[in-house]
Amino acid sequence: MVSAKTSVVSVLALSLIALIASLFAGTGFAASLVIWVAINILLAASFRFVQLIGELNFALAGFVGLGAYVSGICTAKLGLPFAVALMGAALAATLLSLLVGYITLRTKGPYFMLISFAFTEVLRMIYTQIEYIGGNSGMIGIFPPVLFTDYYPTLVVAIVLALLLVLYKLEQSDLGKVLVAIRNNDALVQTVGINVHLTKVLCLAISSFVAGIGGALLAHANNVISPGDFSFLLAVYTLAYIKVGGESHIAGPILGAAVLTLLAQVAMGFGPYEHIFYGSAIVIAVLLMPDGLVGIIRKILGLAPKPHVAARH
Amino acid sequence: MITTQPLLKVDHLSRRFGGLTAVSDLSFEVNQGEILGLIGPNGAGKSTTFNCVSGFYPLSEGRVTFLGEDISTLNTAQVCHKGLVRTFQHDSLLSDMTVYDNLLIATFSMIRAKSEREQRVQETAAILNLTEHLQEIAGTLPHGLQRMVSIAIAFATRPKLLCLDEPLTGLNQTEVGGALAIFRQIRDEFSTSILLVEHNMKAVMEICDRIVVLDHGVFLAAGSPQDIKQNPAVIAAYLGKRA
Repeated sequence: MVSAKTSVVSVLALSLIALIASLFAGTGFAASLVIWVAINILLAASFRFVQLIGELNFALAGFVGLGAYVSGICTAKLGLPFAVALMGAALAATLLSLLVGYITLRTKGPYFMLISFAFTEVLRMIYTQIEYIGGNSGMIGIFPPVLFTDYYPTLVVAIVLALLLVLYKLEQSDLGKVLVAIRNNDALVQTVGINVHLTKVLCLAISSFVAGIGGALLAHANNVISPGDFSFLLAVYTLAYIKVGGESHIAGPILGAAVLTLLAQVAMGFGPYEHIFYGSAIVIAVLLMPDGLVGIIRKILGLAPKPHVAARH
Repeated sequence: MITTQPLLKVDHLSRRFGGLTAVSDLSFEVNQGEILGLIGPNGAGKSTTFNCVSGFYPLSEGRVTFLGEDISTLNTAQVCHKGLVRTFQHDSLLSDMTVYDNLLIATFSMIRAKSEREQRVQETAAILNLTEHLQEIAGTLPHGLQRMVSIAIAFATRPKLLCLDEPLTGLNQTEVGGALAIFRQIRDEFSTSILLVEHNMKAVMEICDRIVVLDHGVFLAAGSPQDIKQNPAVIAAYLGKRA
């Protein structure tokens, strides 16, 4: 068995290694890879957070896109500092998610999934119609902050680690238990005085705050964004990360995103068949390792399965 | 101590589902400190009444008043904060979580300070004889203990009125005795009134101060257990009319 102290030390050590490694990533392909892995981990953790209430949130891609565009407008169009752009992205995604969540989270299961999917696609189509943000061609000139030009991967990794810690702490808190309880038995949760609807909206808002920051970090990493970057496929890839990594622990999306993002570099060589790679990954993961990589690791370490896990869809 | 001040007042409650009238023009009261039984054959409308009173279903007609305040349009969570909490016949606990977490979640919206929440969990577990099971997964407990957990979840909110939906189903004689002792303790020590829907007639007759009988969604009779036992209409509803 692994003690809690050992786990904490291991996580801290791994975080430190990731941070130090990112210092040596430079500005080339390795740097891009580090950033992509880190951002995909963040998006997977954000997606999983909404799974705590039992929902598959395909609106994630919409909120990532919103974060990217708001951050791009703030820096490339308005000349505002990176920090302001980052907060603006997070705030925009959070505020819109509060509105969207309030309206849509009275539905659940496949209904919410379809609505969230439609939301992402509608947002994408809106971007294509706005000339100010480049329409179909997208926006260019979204650069990393000058102070961090050479160390942007390190900045991204540091922000991602901080947000992962916040999500983990929230999941472990009493609020996190309430979120899982809502997934398991929302009628019961209502009877003990908890406003289930507003709690679900809060959950979506927290996830979207993180997604908005993820979008902003992505925009400044790629320098260019276009509506096609934020289609529902982004959410499908994110779901693949979670399915492969495992849903029962926040380490699942971290592992899944890291492994699949690295493997995707190989899949890119498949050209138009790249999507088949992700689809296959989900199918194989569901069939052969229902608890994902985390489940395999738990087995190896002799840990019991967690009593409550994220949604299974 | 029973007072005649009504805690819950149900006035001409009706609930229809399309063409089906599940409850029709039902009126009754629960007094403070009282244990009131709500009985009737299957399909009599007991659970529908529970669902209407606790805010799960909107009323088709009528009014529900709690401590003088109209709660007819409040949702379940708001009704809970007024002091009325119900349990369920089925799916009445969070089966994948520990008993401790079940109770902690029950206190989440009622108590702000974490330490006070934890204290409430311990107190509630002690009253319901669940202290030694706090760290066990609720769904793995024997049926009798699971029933106690579901009552503990509702009682952890410290309601003024506890609505129990068939809490004794599947319990053996000893467990029923233990449960009834706990109901009395809850009523006597915490002044919590109880509205009890139950098919175990022996237990209902033993524990209830008054009984309301429904049949096919309609009020049939009300009175003390002794009165109800001898009421010809009640006997006919349960046993059928003599040919």
